[in-house]
Amino acid sequence: MKLLVLLSGVWAVLALACLYLNVKGYGKRILYSKAAGDPGKGVVYAFTKAMVPWAKESVRMNMLSYALGMSFHAGVFTAFGLLLAALADLGIPAPLLLLARLLTLAGAIGGFSLLGKRAVKAELRGLSCPDDFISNLLCSLFIALALGWTFDPSLAGIWMGEASLLLLYLPLGKIRHCCFFFTTRYHLGAFFGRRGTFPPQA
Amino acid sequence: MPELDELEAKLDALTEADFRKGLEVFRGKLKSAEASYLNSCVHCGLCADSCHYHRAEPVLENMPAHKLDVVASVFKHNFTAMGRLAPGLVGAKPFDREMAKAWMDAVFGRCSLCGRCSINCTIGIAMPKIFRAARAALAAMGLVPSDLQATVDNSLQFGNNMAMTREDWVDTVQWIEEELQMETGDPEAKLPLDKHGAKILFTVNPREPKFFPLSLQASAKVFWAAKEDWTMASDGGWDLTNYGLFNCNDPQAGAITQHLVDAMARLGCTTLVIGECGHGYGSARWEGPEWLQKSYPFEVKSVLELMEDYIEEGRIKLDPSRNKVPVTLHDPCNLVRHGGICEVQRRILRKAVTTFTEMTPNRAENFCCGGGGGQLSMARYKARRIQAGSVKAGQIKATGAKVVVAPCHNCIDQLMELNKEYKLDVQIKTVAEMVAEAIV
Repeated sequence: MKLLVLLSGVWAVLALACLYLNVKGYGKRILYSKAAGDPGKGVVYAFTKAMVPWAKESVRMNMLSYALGMSFHAGVFTAFGLLLAALADLGIPAPLLLLARLLTLAGAIGGFSLLGKRAVKAELRGLSCPDDFISNLLCSLFIALALGWTFDPSLAGIWMGEASLLLLYLPLGKIRHCCFFFTTRYHLGAFFGRRGTFPPQA
Repeated sequence: MPELDELEAKLDALTEADFRKGLEVFRGKLKSAEASYLNSCVHCGLCADSCHYHRAEPVLENMPAHKLDVVASVFKHNFTAMGRLAPGLVGAKPFDREMAKAWMDAVFGRCSLCGRCSINCTIGIAMPKIFRAARAALAAMGLVPSDLQATVDNSLQFGNNMAMTREDWVDTVQWIEEELQMETGDPEAKLPLDKHGAKILFTVNPREPKFFPLSLQASAKVFWAAKEDWTMASDGGWDLTNYGLFNCNDPQAGAITQHLVDAMARLGCTTLVIGECGHGYGSARWEGPEWLQKSYPFEVKSVLELMEDYIEEGRIKLDPSRNKVPVTLHDPCNLVRHGGICEVQRRILRKAVTTFTEMTPNRAENFCCGGGGGQLSMARYKARRIQAGSVKAGQIKATGAKVVVAPCHNCIDQLMELNKEYKLDVQIKTVAEMVAEAIV
């Protein structure tokens, strides 16, 4: 099972790399207008202050969804940490294990809650395609099984099987945003930085 | 409605070659930034209320992510492996008649390209970039709403978007000059035309000579007070507008920009000054060089920057007590969020009026008035435009201001309609009008 996880991981990394190269292959736009601001400062702003919860109205108005999303992501990263530990047969110190359990518990709650929200809210459901549900479900299950594994090591087989599925699916659907989030935010920051909008002058 | 019949007829007449052409143009607009955006949306839906259309009418079709998805579905179908292998899974759809209609509704009918969704997107997708690419594809397919296209055609044919003749323009300028001379008591107060070697070429929105001569007179009074060496062109190159920004036909947009470049060369001016117009500033300052694929050999400034220079340099002196009525400021999207001109107008107003109240939210978080993106020229979407403007109307009401300053003539048109529709009981003015009033 460990080998399957590793092979799936290699697939995910290679496929993401191909996707990234494909996107990069679209080429860079040559700009002729004179910059008013610093694109670099815009990028720094886009990855820092622009991401704090109170910086965006969309987050301020949806704090619960934001909190669920953040815990979901924290859970995913924690579950991947646990997966690495399990693959390497590393022991996890008790305080760290407690933290991991809390984060994966919060992550699973976040993930399944957001899945429920997507299924229940008509507008969000209308926006969704099957990939939205599959991606969320794979990640939420992955986190929940990671949490279960910390209590019951016999779940390792089913957890790693699910992890393999997640890794195989990762580049195929919207979980690819684990890569393109960074490139997108970079481009947003560079665009508004060049125009002098990021960082705000006031 | 004749517009809708015309649209259906255009859609019915589309051939396979038209769709191929549209896709080719769409693909040509995508660079790595746009390709990244199209791979990033997670459908979280948190962008919904960042859009004034969705605020005013909370339906799925008005959600920015949905509008993006309408375009992205075609991208996936035609340019991604998963879109070809498992279209149903990832929401990929072919570009056909109904999809072209959906694109039109999404990117022309429900979007003013204001970019408020960009800064509120949890991922950071600059959605107007994608919507512009879609508009460009539709333009290549002959699907630009005819009234929007007519505005562009006017600029190409007459050198200004309102088809004013040279004679009308020159007559109006001379008439405003006489008014300025009466106002200032200075017979030497001029609105110079074609003054070779002047430092500044000043450009205006044709709505000024046509409907708002006091606005042009106010700018001229500021130049007069500052003893500026300026001119306007009597022929092509006096109109700052460029609706090529909205029909997204780059060759046409470039041809309109060329009017300004030619006038600068013809008159030997060193600085191109863009009057108070958001999309005019965005077109000339930011997009023009990209459309022409070359840097300008001259500087481009907003008249707001110039007015602040005058105040800072002591070339004009203002007495704010001449503007005692409570004032608020509207932030035009193309000038502020997309243009980077954000604080200048505030610094000016603080020196020109006694009571200045900010709208909430403001600056880069401002709400579009609803008139951007060419909406003012697309009659078929008027009801939506007025409805979407209710958000801005609410902002204005909340300030309690009696004067709304809007450094954009397109915004002014929309705000005047909102004033009437939502009974705001305000006056709409430009920054120059406030400054001119305060000059001592």
